[in-house]
Amino acid sequence: MTVLRAPSPLPLLPTSVVGSYSVPEWLEGVKTDFYHRKISKNYLDDIHGVVTKAALKDQERADIDIVSGGELSRDNDIDYLLVRLPGIEIPDTRKSNSYDYYDAVVREPLPVGSRFPLRLTDDYRFVRDNTDRPVKFSITGPFSLSRKLRNEAYDDPAGLVMALAELLNAEAKRLVAEGATVLQLDEPLLCGYRDQVGTAVEGINTVIDGVDASWALHICYGNRYARPSWEGHYDFLFPKVMDARVDQLVLEFARRGYEDLDLLARSGWDRGVGVGVIDVKTEEVETAETVAHRIRRALRVVPPERMTINPDCGLRHLPGDVARAKLRAMAEGTAIVRDELSTVATPTGDIAIRDESGASREAVQEGAMQS
Amino acid sequence: MLVDVRPTKRLRGSSPVDVSAALGPIVEALGQDTVDLSRVRVVCDWIQYKHNFRDVIDIRPITGSASSGMELEAAVDLRRCAGTDLNAATAEALREFHDPDSSDRVYLEQWTAGKDSCIWDFNALYWQALGRWEEVSGQDYEQALPGGSSDGRNQEAARELILELFDTWDELARLSSLPEQLYVVELGVGNGTQAKAWLDEFRELALIRGVDYYQRLHYIMGDYSPHVLKLAQETVAEHAAQVSSIVVDATDPTASLGFLRHKAFLVYVSNVYDNLPTDEVASISGRTYRVEVRAYLPREGSLALAERLSTTPEQVGGVVRKLLRLGPELLAEALPQQLPDVASAVRFWQEAWSWLRLAERYVPLEGLDLYQICPTVTGEVLRPILEDRGDFRMQVSNGAVASFVATLRLLHPYGRLHCHDLFVTDARRYDSQFCGPGKYDGSIVNWVNGALVQCVGNRHGFDVNYVPFRHREGTNITTLTAQVRE
Repeated sequence: MTVLRAPSPLPLLPTSVVGSYSVPEWLEGVKTDFYHRKISKNYLDDIHGVVTKAALKDQERADIDIVSGGELSRDNDIDYLLVRLPGIEIPDTRKSNSYDYYDAVVREPLPVGSRFPLRLTDDYRFVRDNTDRPVKFSITGPFSLSRKLRNEAYDDPAGLVMALAELLNAEAKRLVAEGATVLQLDEPLLCGYRDQVGTAVEGINTVIDGVDASWALHICYGNRYARPSWEGHYDFLFPKVMDARVDQLVLEFARRGYEDLDLLARSGWDRGVGVGVIDVKTEEVETAETVAHRIRRALRVVPPERMTINPDCGLRHLPGDVARAKLRAMAEGTAIVRDELSTVATPTGDIAIRDESGASREAVQEGAMQS
Repeated sequence: MLVDVRPTKRLRGSSPVDVSAALGPIVEALGQDTVDLSRVRVVCDWIQYKHNFRDVIDIRPITGSASSGMELEAAVDLRRCAGTDLNAATAEALREFHDPDSSDRVYLEQWTAGKDSCIWDFNALYWQALGRWEEVSGQDYEQALPGGSSDGRNQEAARELILELFDTWDELARLSSLPEQLYVVELGVGNGTQAKAWLDEFRELALIRGVDYYQRLHYIMGDYSPHVLKLAQETVAEHAAQVSSIVVDATDPTASLGFLRHKAFLVYVSNVYDNLPTDEVASISGRTYRVEVRAYLPREGSLALAERLSTTPEQVGGVVRKLLRLGPELLAEALPQQLPDVASAVRFWQEAWSWLRLAERYVPLEGLDLYQICPTVTGEVLRPILEDRGDFRMQVSNGAVASFVATLRLLHPYGRLHCHDLFVTDARRYDSQFCGPGKYDGSIVNWVNGALVQCVGNRHGFDVNYVPFRHREGTNITTLTAQVRE
């Protein structure tokens, strides 16, 4: 039914998340307190455990099919990995706020090979052991990681991307050995480097190489502080992204409208698509019907068996009540469309999608604009 | 007793302030009272504003304190001490403190947060009925500014900003990512002179550069005052094809400009933040307080206003509240016997404004997270500034913070906010300088808590930088620039 692999069958249009979950202001404060030496690492780890369980519970209660740990133990998308990767120097490990990026530098070529476990498996195991649902585990991709490193070691920046990719590849294999079945690479910075998709794809393929899992690739327009870091269209990805050996592209649509879905059709993308139906850059909560409209719009281009439903990006910057409401709306909107798909059939037995012609199209676009 | 003399620079120099001459009679009056002197703070300021909301001596209750905590604050304006009978003034203020119900003041409101005080209704009325105020006072509002003009119209500053904008657009054009419409927003457009100078310069520089940016430019002028906006439209008439104007509440620009979310390449704000509602918070003996205020007319003022209305002082408060509700034109219609024409209603307004004072008290804040600075920012953001600082008092600049945060949402990923205003860029300055509120003509001025705005900007992913306004000598104006942090 779906391109994503799970221990038990997933429903049509499985719902998932991109990765991060709502970080309350107090948690941000506690994380920062750690850097100011006001609480210990043990306390912080314990707090991370508690909030991760709560995030899982919230997703389960919202009836999300494939859940994540919410990335609540990660300061941000970059540092979580940089501090674990061998050969990366962080001259000053103090932070005025935990969400800030480290100033990290690579002075010598990175040691490669499988000798350097990054201990992501600990986090995966914790999530796996605290939910009965299939788990998606996200890793920031090598291209985006490389853009946040001061490179003093490689004449060709692509060399750094590939070295990071090899280290991530070894860790991905460890994750699969622990039971991970759905892995996602996030490339949040790629939109700002539109002429380097080829390098990014090479890195992605290196990470994926020989890793027996369903792979998603998430590319958005940035979500740092709930702001886009780029505006434009996904056209820059094509055709090079076609070479990425991923099972699914997870893209941002709810905020910007669904025109770029047509790009996928024109380019002949015949793998899975994670369709963003929740705008994570606004606190206005979508209705289930708005979500259903958006899914119907996407179904004009992507058949249901290749589609996963998710927010545009991580929910990190949304207040907890808003994040919960948005996830509920996503699940309810998806249920509406599932119901339509299961009850409306053509005489030939093909699934027919209720397409509400021009009026519906406007409604979809209006929904995107409103959110 | 704790004595805090804040304007320390004025204790030296050719004509130093004689603090002991001021403090002597005040402490003597306190000593003659029944207050526990070990729980008294005496705070001496130098109020630089000729027109302000304070008396020479104000007594402020510090509520909710444990028996060991501070009970009251005697606030002294050192600038006005000479020539005042300080012992009598202190004794009078203490009588008010002990028995507020027997007061001969005319209170215009209940105790409230600073930002919710009716002084902001006066401020709003000034901008709404500016034309009427100017007719009666005989001068336009720019003449009432300290320098007699706004800093916004400086040509050199405009050129610098425009060329930086062109560089950004050239780069985006190279990447085929430059949108067709190039939005620039000015908030607090005033009479349009800055907009005109900017647009003239923009058109010329685009021509020199050989780009079509002028044709693609959409310059949106926003102001709270329809009167001011109309003047601005006339000023920029020759650029009409490029310009739209819209009434904007500066504290909530997204309400009218929400369609620009992530689209504006430049938002320009000049001398707006210092005129937006603000609370003040204070740390006293390790506890955090909000300053609550209560606007009033002193006895002398209510008598003068009553005479103007041919009524009793007790009736004056009701007329003032009616003025704030109706504005001068409708007030004149409502009270034709007392205010026969609009001009007389405006004169009543101006006189009420001149007498307006603020009583203050300190009320404990139960938790910074429970204190909402504006709808999207909690008091937690104050923590780094208040923490470990000792006794301290500062503005929260609620309106400025609300405006700033909402404006950031309008910015394109490559956009920037450029703002000229009175900023306290280093919070330590609050230790030694009075930063408002003061009165400019019919409006309020407060220095803006720039240190806080910087914290808020950082927490929203922006670099916030301050530099003194470089294009005019001897000005207090600081330029804030906010851009997305890499």
